Amino acid sequence: MADQLYLENIDEFVTDQNKIVTYKWLSYTLGVHVNQAKQMLYDYVERKRKENSGAQLHVTYLVSGSLIQNGHSCHKVAVVREDKLEAVKSKLAVTASIHVYSIQKAMLKDSGPLFNTDYDILKSNLQNCSKFSAIQCAAAVPRAPAESSSSSKKFEQSHLHMSSETQANNELTTNGHGPPASKQVSQQPKGIMGMFASKAAAKTQETNKETKTEAKEVTNASAAGNKAPGKGNMMSNFFGKAAMNKFKVNLDSEQAVKEEKIVEQPTVSVTEPKLATPAGLKKSSKKAEPVKVLQKEKKRGKRVALSDDETKETENMRKKRRRIKLPESDSSEDEDSPGAYEAESPSPPPPPSPPLEPVPKTEPEPPSVKSSSGENKRKRKRVLKSKTYLDGEGCIVTEKVYESESCTDSEEELNMKTSSVHRPPAMTVKKEPREERKGPKKGTAALGKANRQVSITGFFQRK
Amino acid sequence: MFSEQAAQRAHTLLSPPSANNATFARVPVATYTNSSQPFRLGERSFSRQYAHIYATRLIQMRPFLENRAQQHWGSGVGVKKLCELQPEEKCCVVGTLFKAMPLQPSILREVSEEIIPPVSAFQHNLLPQPPRSKYIHPDDELVLEDELQRIKLKGTIDVSKLVTGTVLAVFGSVRDDGKFLVEDYCFADLAPQKPAPPLDTDRFVLLVSGLGLGGGGGESLLGTQLLVDVVTGQLGDEGEQCSAAHVSRVILAGNLLSHSTQSRDSINKAKYLTKKTQAASVEAVKMLDEILLQLSASVPVDVMPGEFDPTNYTLPQQPLHPCMFPLATAYSTLQLVTNPYQATIDGVRFLGTSGQNVSDIFRYSSMEDHLEILEWTLRVRHISPTAPDTLGCYPFYKTDPFIFPECPHVYFCGNTPSFGSKIIRGPEDQTVLLVTVPDFSATQTACLVNLRSLACQPISFSGFGAEDDDLGGLGLGP
Repeated sequence: MADQLYLENIDEFVTDQNKIVTYKWLSYTLGVHVNQAKQMLYDYVERKRKENSGAQLHVTYLVSGSLIQNGHSCHKVAVVREDKLEAVKSKLAVTASIHVYSIQKAMLKDSGPLFNTDYDILKSNLQNCSKFSAIQCAAAVPRAPAESSSSSKKFEQSHLHMSSETQANNELTTNGHGPPASKQVSQQPKGIMGMFASKAAAKTQETNKETKTEAKEVTNASAAGNKAPGKGNMMSNFFGKAAMNKFKVNLDSEQAVKEEKIVEQPTVSVTEPKLATPAGLKKSSKKAEPVKVLQKEKKRGKRVALSDDETKETENMRKKRRRIKLPESDSSEDEDSPGAYEAESPSPPPPPSPPLEPVPKTEPEPPSVKSSSGENKRKRKRVLKSKTYLDGEGCIVTEKVYESESCTDSEEELNMKTSSVHRPPAMTVKKEPREERKGPKKGTAALGKANRQVSITGFFQRK
Repeated sequence: MFSEQAAQRAHTLLSPPSANNATFARVPVATYTNSSQPFRLGERSFSRQYAHIYATRLIQMRPFLENRAQQHWGSGVGVKKLCELQPEEKCCVVGTLFKAMPLQPSILREVSEEIIPPVSAFQHNLLPQPPRSKYIHPDDELVLEDELQRIKLKGTIDVSKLVTGTVLAVFGSVRDDGKFLVEDYCFADLAPQKPAPPLDTDRFVLLVSGLGLGGGGGESLLGTQLLVDVVTGQLGDEGEQCSAAHVSRVILAGNLLSHSTQSRDSINKAKYLTKKTQAASVEAVKMLDEILLQLSASVPVDVMPGEFDPTNYTLPQQPLHPCMFPLATAYSTLQLVTNPYQATIDGVRFLGTSGQNVSDIFRYSSMEDHLEILEWTLRVRHISPTAPDTLGCYPFYKTDPFIFPECPHVYFCGNTPSFGSKIIRGPEDQTVLLVTVPDFSATQTACLVNLRSLACQPISFSGFGAEDDDLGGLGLGP
């Protein structure tokens, strides 16, 4: 009796719902092995025809075999209509297999609808596409997210090596043969990118970690010298085009920050007292930052000359960033912080949101300024979320995003993964604006998915 | 072969369902090593001139050619540099060929004609040259260059067949008019080959190229789906599925995206019209990701980029970036590799390209058959002699990675107009299987290489269409 169930099912699909029932579709729908699905279809056809020879049933078959063509023995696989089946069979020298491909009520003009049916059912079952297949591959195991994150850490380290290598011996590596780390690097991006595929929160967490460390690397690199633009590009390559602009902006703005420091240092010290940031840590760290930045500044005197151009550039880019802020701020569902902008890279860059003008603007300027004004703006939109977890090195990390009040609970213990352990305060400060920026961007990913295109008039509505 | 093995099992599918359905395990990867490291580029600097690559090519090839010259013309033959030539003295010279072709598109000529147009209004140079399929001309001339000098060649040398960048040894003498009269010439021929260890079971490698996604051809989409279904063991009877389980690897040799995804209409249109349009390649890459997901869930896959794929233009093309395939990169069976690609699969050395090298030689040589060109590149011991002259290439300066260090067992090139396969023998008993993998979007044909017997069988797919006569779609014909 249980066997007859499938007959009724097929009957229902074909006759009542007027569907095209391919073996693959049946296999996924009933959850049976593909070969069993093919046999079921055959059985149904036979029975139906026996009962009612006038049944309106059109069948397509799959025929495969070999025939001699142009001197080769060519293996052919073809989907044929029932009426052509015998003709095709006779032409083949060796018939390897024949089975029912699909059953449908109406006569098909061409095989397009068959493909569509298969494609649709496949789309809805992408993750276990080989579950009912006749071949199982032991080697094909999806990477676990933990595995991919550890490989991403390795990637960062190897990336650091690569950058130091390239800085040290530029000549040797530019023949065009990749440095030894490149092999490792080429595997690591898969790890990082594999993280995009999985939708778990863990993923964003890892991307968060990764961004933080990478951002740190970036700041290290930019501090280290004139490799920053190149490095930024290399880093940004891994984030995809969409995020590259933001990342470049990030870099440029950082450089701009440092250059502007000289100019704006008086303003920094002026603005700092103005800030209503009770967290003493923040203040002191911010004071520390300008000092350290100044030191860096002196090392790169030549950059000062470019500051004008860069400020203009960053102004424009800031405007871009401003727009991004707004839709992001609407999202409140973030588990995590700033891991954001890689998560976004698959989705198109979100459109403008100007009212958060000050927020991106403050990023290049002293973070304190940014955070305060950002907070002021964000107060009404952001939701405070905190996530505490134990990271790989045994540090308990608490990250907060979207500080809702100016009372920043933004103290955090950073992941001290990179070599910047000795400068935690500076890093903290840098991390913070980055996190804040990433926070909003993270939101964009979610919101972006909801409505991909915010119209240009959004600028006005939000005001 | 695949079909015969597949036909050996009884047909079971035209019968009522049985409870037990066989599942076959994919043949495990016995040994696999990717030896494409020479084609990976690390830090890239384009500030160098291309002369260095020719210099290093000549330096590397010179010893091979001198050996071959001695084999052909006796060990006493004098191998001289061009500066040491004495008139009327028979000797052998090793150098790089340059073919002066009047029809070769030259950007300098185009630009200079814009600035100073030619006097005659009827000069054909006024009009932009339409792309031709071949740029050869009876007036082409060959020039041999070595480290210091160059000399024009005449005599028994096939000018139309040879292309720029080939390193060869010519035997002859220099004449009074300053040209070198060639009596004979030879190439470096096949490189030494390590024998492949014998296999005990049939293992197959599937070579496909030119999937051409995003091209809008519905017919080829069904063919692609059928291909994936055969390889992943969904299609076919038990025999065929069992044979398909012996496919140990799939190599996608370039042009995964269609040429039409590269259209740059948006450049010509006004910005306000094209602001929100998405590049055609985005959809195509998503489709590709799904196909790769299906494949890599079942079989190890190597993906090589091709002419129309989103990677760099110059050879060697770097692997596609994994961030484009978020679904498929979850599987470690997916490997994104360079073009050209070289690997040892179960002891059999594979080397192949996505076809740019062969099609470039096709344009500048009189050779018509892609398989013939493929064999010729093997005999010349260089994957792509026309790079960097007419084919984009990275300015190497230390080594030329396109010279064959050793002879592969299977040498393939993708995106050819038709399938071809041949086994050739070398002077030291090397055996190479040459395969020209056809463009799948046009021919719906892929290639199955049997690693045990080093034979290749084409496998083609078809659906049915409204206008098909009985067997036209299958190419079976009356």
